[in-house]
Amino acid sequence: MADHTDIWVFSEKPALQAELIACAQQLTAHTGGQVTAVVLGARSQAEQALEQGAQRVLWLGELPTGRLVEDIVPTLTAAVQDKRPFGVIIGATVRGRAVAGRLAARLSVTVLADVLEFQWDGVALLARHMVFGGGAVRIDRPLASPVIATVGQGVFEARTRQTPSSDEIESLPWVEPPWQAAVIERRSRGVSSVNLSAAKRVICPGRGVARQEDLGMIEELAQALSAEMACTRPLAEGLDWLPRERYIGISGAMIKPDLYLGVGVSGQAQHTIGMSESRVVVAINKDRGAPLMTQSDYAVEGDLYQVVPALIRALKARKGK
Amino acid sequence: MKIVVCAKLAPDASDIEIRSDGSISLERAEWRIGSFDLQAIEAAVRLRDTHSGSVTALSVGPQRINHSKLRKDLLSRGPDELVLVTEDALNGADTAVTAQVLAAAVRKIGSVDLVLTGEGSADLYFQQVGLQLGELLAVPVFNAVSKIEVNGSTVRIERSLEEEIEVLELPLPAVLAVTTDIHQPRLPNMKEILLAAKKPVFEWSLADLELENAPESRVEAVSLRAPRPVERKRILIEGSPEEAAQALTGYLVKEGLA
Repeated sequence: MADHTDIWVFSEKPALQAELIACAQQLTAHTGGQVTAVVLGARSQAEQALEQGAQRVLWLGELPTGRLVEDIVPTLTAAVQDKRPFGVIIGATVRGRAVAGRLAARLSVTVLADVLEFQWDGVALLARHMVFGGGAVRIDRPLASPVIATVGQGVFEARTRQTPSSDEIESLPWVEPPWQAAVIERRSRGVSSVNLSAAKRVICPGRGVARQEDLGMIEELAQALSAEMACTRPLAEGLDWLPRERYIGISGAMIKPDLYLGVGVSGQAQHTIGMSESRVVVAINKDRGAPLMTQSDYAVEGDLYQVVPALIRALKARKGK
Repeated sequence: MKIVVCAKLAPDASDIEIRSDGSISLERAEWRIGSFDLQAIEAAVRLRDTHSGSVTALSVGPQRINHSKLRKDLLSRGPDELVLVTEDALNGADTAVTAQVLAAAVRKIGSVDLVLTGEGSADLYFQQVGLQLGELLAVPVFNAVSKIEVNGSTVRIERSLEEEIEVLELPLPAVLAVTTDIHQPRLPNMKEILLAAKKPVFEWSLADLELENAPESRVEAVSLRAPRPVERKRILIEGSPEEAAQALTGYLVKEGLA
């Protein structure tokens, strides 16, 4: 294990951890180091990381009651300073962002946030991510070591389970954090909770929908297509017609469904950043010049109040056959 | 209580110009308060109105952020005073540099109970600066904060995680990055706009913060370009609603989607 060659990954979500391991495998092909998973949880989760392709596990054990995932920051910092990996890739969840930012501050480096792709320019690492609300792609070269990056769910594809190439599980000594937040309560986000990024088909009403009660018609269309309801940001924040978890775009959900159907959506970059990788994009809008209409596979020019009911009838008629 | 709210003044992403070669120009972009920072300002002002005390708005960046329109816009939203740390070397600063300069400014402001930031900047949206700032100040720091209740020397917060709401209690001082739905930001009224012109503005340089030079950048932006558009079929469907619906249904069937 040479200095500055290993790639570490950390995510409190096992599915995301598997994707990060796949990402790290691409990087160690260049650095020549090992893929190391930092695992917080039961020993079975440490073993799972080896099956997901990690060559080594640094195991933190199970999180004690009343502690937060974020409390690993001092332990992780000490381990990075001791073992000197090339980089640490952290899953871009709320907690993952917190761990990444605090770790980076302690190590006096920055964070390459929400990386979509890593490239190698001869010997140096480059990271591609979106900026300006999806209006631009920036490629960054980190100048300081170690490299700390966050990567979101669905960016890299997890490999299928494999027979572990090693059984190396090393326990990390716990470093007590300097301050402690008391956990008062955790509660589910309730019925509004929806995993849009898992939906195969998504219908998204925008500002072209005039009244909240008109969403009933959109929901009916969603049912006819077996699609999940999403929305643009103004419908969730400002109008409060739909819960915040359902809006697509920067600061909201990032989705890659088979079908995205925008109804009365103009298509600002801040929105389209969240759906531009959908397999099939359909737009219904009375303005054929709306940005989304020109970035669609199928652009229906017309009044959504007439087109949507007609579409529901047409889909039902087809199902009836 | 003494509250500092950090806001980024940056070019408005909707004013980006894409040149024919795919490169990007921000020359004509208007500089504004970050749209995700407005909620942090609103939260700070509401906390002050409930608990008394003061709100200091804080922004760091190149000289051009010291502009009368931006100063007035910030102060008309309710903060009592404004601190601007300007140095052209801070243009395009990375999150580590920004957090370091903010930390030095918060220390200079002194006796701060609570620092609020937005969820992320409107231009880069890396969602990092607040977290790094808290760690540099060595105080409790949390992101995704959707509710704040101050009780004396502690604060109870709600965090909006992916699947749950987490309620935490932590000691002050603390740094909190708030969500975009914590409060609807106010639109300044005429009285507040007039009042804004009379509020104190402190203009500091890096030397005032005992930072000799801008901290060294940890990242180099190699390129900035318009995203390559995804190739789409761009089939326009016109006609009566029934015709259009039939045509679209046909296409959806062909795509295996209906």
